[in-house]
Amino acid sequence: MPQFMRLRTAILGLCLLLLDVPMWSRVFLRWTELEAPPAKRVGVNELAVPWDASGIAVFKGLAKQGYQIYAEVSPDQADAAAVIAKEALTGIILNPGTTSQNQVADVLCRLRSAYPKLVFRIVNANGKQPQMRSRLVINRNGILEVTSSTAQPWIDTNLALVKLERAFHPPEVPLYSFHWDSEKNEQLPAPTAEDYGLAVAEAGAFDADIILPLPASLQKDMAQNSSAAWEIWNEVKRYFAFVSTTTNRHSDSNSNVGVVTDDSGASYEALNLLARHNILFRVLRPSDFNERNLEHLDVLIAFVTPDARAIPVISVFAAKGGTAVLVDSHGAYPWRSSQPIRNSENSASHAVGKGRVIELSEPVSDPETFAQDVRRLIDNQKMEISLWNALTTVAVLHRSADQDVGTIELLNYAEEPLRVQVRVKGFRSTIRYETPEHGCCESLKPTQHDGFTEFVVPSLHVAGRVHLGSEHAHGRVQR
Amino acid sequence: MRWNSWLLAGLVVAALVNTSANAADQTATFVHKKKYVMGTIFEIVAYEASPARAQAAIDAAFEEIVRLDGIMSNYKSDSDLSRLNRSAHFKAWTVQHDLYRVIQESLRYSKLSEGRFDITVGPLVDFWNAVVRGERIPSVKEEQKLRSCVGYEKVELLPPDRVEFNSLCLQIDFGAIGKGYAVDRAVTILRSQGISRALIDAGGSTIFAMGSPPGQSSWLVHLRDPSGKIDPQVWLSDSSVSTSEQTPASLIGINSAGHIIDPETGAPVKTTVAVSAVAKTATASDALSTTLFLVGPEKGQRLVNSMPETAAIWISPAGEVNISSTGPQILCRRQGAQLGSRKSEMPELSVQ
Repeated sequence: MPQFMRLRTAILGLCLLLLDVPMWSRVFLRWTELEAPPAKRVGVNELAVPWDASGIAVFKGLAKQGYQIYAEVSPDQADAAAVIAKEALTGIILNPGTTSQNQVADVLCRLRSAYPKLVFRIVNANGKQPQMRSRLVINRNGILEVTSSTAQPWIDTNLALVKLERAFHPPEVPLYSFHWDSEKNEQLPAPTAEDYGLAVAEAGAFDADIILPLPASLQKDMAQNSSAAWEIWNEVKRYFAFVSTTTNRHSDSNSNVGVVTDDSGASYEALNLLARHNILFRVLRPSDFNERNLEHLDVLIAFVTPDARAIPVISVFAAKGGTAVLVDSHGAYPWRSSQPIRNSENSASHAVGKGRVIELSEPVSDPETFAQDVRRLIDNQKMEISLWNALTTVAVLHRSADQDVGTIELLNYAEEPLRVQVRVKGFRSTIRYETPEHGCCESLKPTQHDGFTEFVVPSLHVAGRVHLGSEHAHGRVQR
Repeated sequence: MRWNSWLLAGLVVAALVNTSANAADQTATFVHKKKYVMGTIFEIVAYEASPARAQAAIDAAFEEIVRLDGIMSNYKSDSDLSRLNRSAHFKAWTVQHDLYRVIQESLRYSKLSEGRFDITVGPLVDFWNAVVRGERIPSVKEEQKLRSCVGYEKVELLPPDRVEFNSLCLQIDFGAIGKGYAVDRAVTILRSQGISRALIDAGGSTIFAMGSPPGQSSWLVHLRDPSGKIDPQVWLSDSSVSTSEQTPASLIGINSAGHIIDPETGAPVKTTVAVSAVAKTATASDALSTTLFLVGPEKGQRLVNSMPETAAIWISPAGEVNISSTGPQILCRRQGAQLGSRKSEMPELSVQ
């Protein structure tokens, strides 16, 4: 990274330290209508309201209903919004749009200095509607297209996006949003209560904040006290309650896999598929390429060309028994002095000490196959968590700092009850299962062998939380 | 997304607006639903004047697929198939009509393919899956032992509803035909509920087209093309297409088995060709695509030519094409190898 970039990152980091860092995941509702029902009834206190300079009366009106109002603005509108903030706003959410990251960082830094009491957030609006996706059905100018070709369920999850946000914008809690497919294609049905619930539960499971978009029709119906609208919303409220009871704090300490990327987007789908296959990975910036950050990793994947500083780090990592995978690799590396132990059309594997370095000569052309490859690189005994009958399920493992107790957040993108078999590393004497539908907690029967605890989640509908009891002292497995 | 085309069966379905569409067509509402079942996503789209009726019919079709999963799943220990696999060794076992029918159809394709299509290949599939997961190291001895369990001729059907395995270790797996049968049952349910224009898709690998979209005489389906050069297409109406292709090879050169096992060798097939087969039923297209994948184009073309209303295309990553048909026309656009006469009706579409 060039020197000026490092300096810029450091300055931005200082700016972000001024940020109001919330203690748990927050849900903002994106509200576009003039009227809203009382916050207490909706179950959410914070609204993200698109900026309209003439709409201060609207902001005030919404605030009277008990909400904290955040104006959602483009960087160009931020100053104007900040000026009137005292009158009606709790904070400002910057939606960068096409503005560059550096420009947004400048605006943010300046605003935080000028308005220290005002809360400023940046939203990543590139999230996806969380769903089990198969074919994209479009009726465009009379043409019906049904596309996609996967034989296995495809999941659109925001886990990769959250991990990238967390890596590239610390210490800010990631805030993201997305558009419902039905907003882009009116032929598609409006979101269901389960769809809203999944979006809320997903953000909670990932320890991220979300701006939940609401169709205008639902907002109007809720404001007009439509019983059908409230029937949907009362179901969604269970998910707010579920998320609010989490005690999770984000931690990547369980990750087997490190992914070094420059956030250029080239690695995004590969990361998405690693997440979808429940491979525990953490994102590292190129500047994080050092031995300390690679400790405890079994596999290192580099989507950036290692520089002179990184090459010895990779060599040491591999020499200690790790597997490094260099994607689209074309450099002159020391391990090439020996013959590859395995060659294929687009890859070469070199033995380095107790481990190996695998070079791919091209970018990842098939992220699904790549993710399965990475899974096979991890020894079964080192898998922190494994799931069966869970092709539509994403699991997020959180452990306490001492690794003693923990939780597993489960999300089912098929949104239909599923019986899921789980295996988690370590001996757990108690397993309790919490859901939005039935609260906390049902005791599940654990079975233990080979250093792992197995149990069956009887019914995972949209979201569930497994509480892992303390590990037996004598059975504890060291990483 | 470009990389989607690397996966099992790249299928794009399209229909043109026809300005001469009649009034009934114009009032038809488009209804689309999906459901995760049989380890994949089933989707049904339907055109129907009454959306409520379409919704109800689709729900009923999904219920039928779930019911069949409960019968044919070899993952669910309480399925009828699992019970059969545990119980029918040298002992006739009474099974449900659907299970009997699927076995009967499967054995028909086994005979047609001289054993290359074989629903008893399950133990070898499990073995290779365990090898891929790193749970086993392949050994010749174990493989030979498992191969002795395999053989469709060891399955005996005792009409009207009993099945016996003439082997101590035989296991049945419907991975190559079960989804096709489920699609056909869904078609029957939809028809019984008055739906005539619909498309049923089982995870992208098997599609059945009922009737046609409003204003059209058939549905246009783009087929899997590993070369990216051919863009093969077929017009379907009350017929089905399925695609078979081996699991992609590892990108990083590690050993990986494919999901299609050749009973003749006992090992995963090593070929990168994609095969699409068109037939009047989804059961037939599903079984046929696997059969044709295993026997290859030379024998496969002879097989297709012996069957009415059938067509198939083999495409290699290099763009080599073999086509055979006794009715349905498979069109290849980009090579200039036009087959059929419907070019002028085709929309300009691109695979996403």
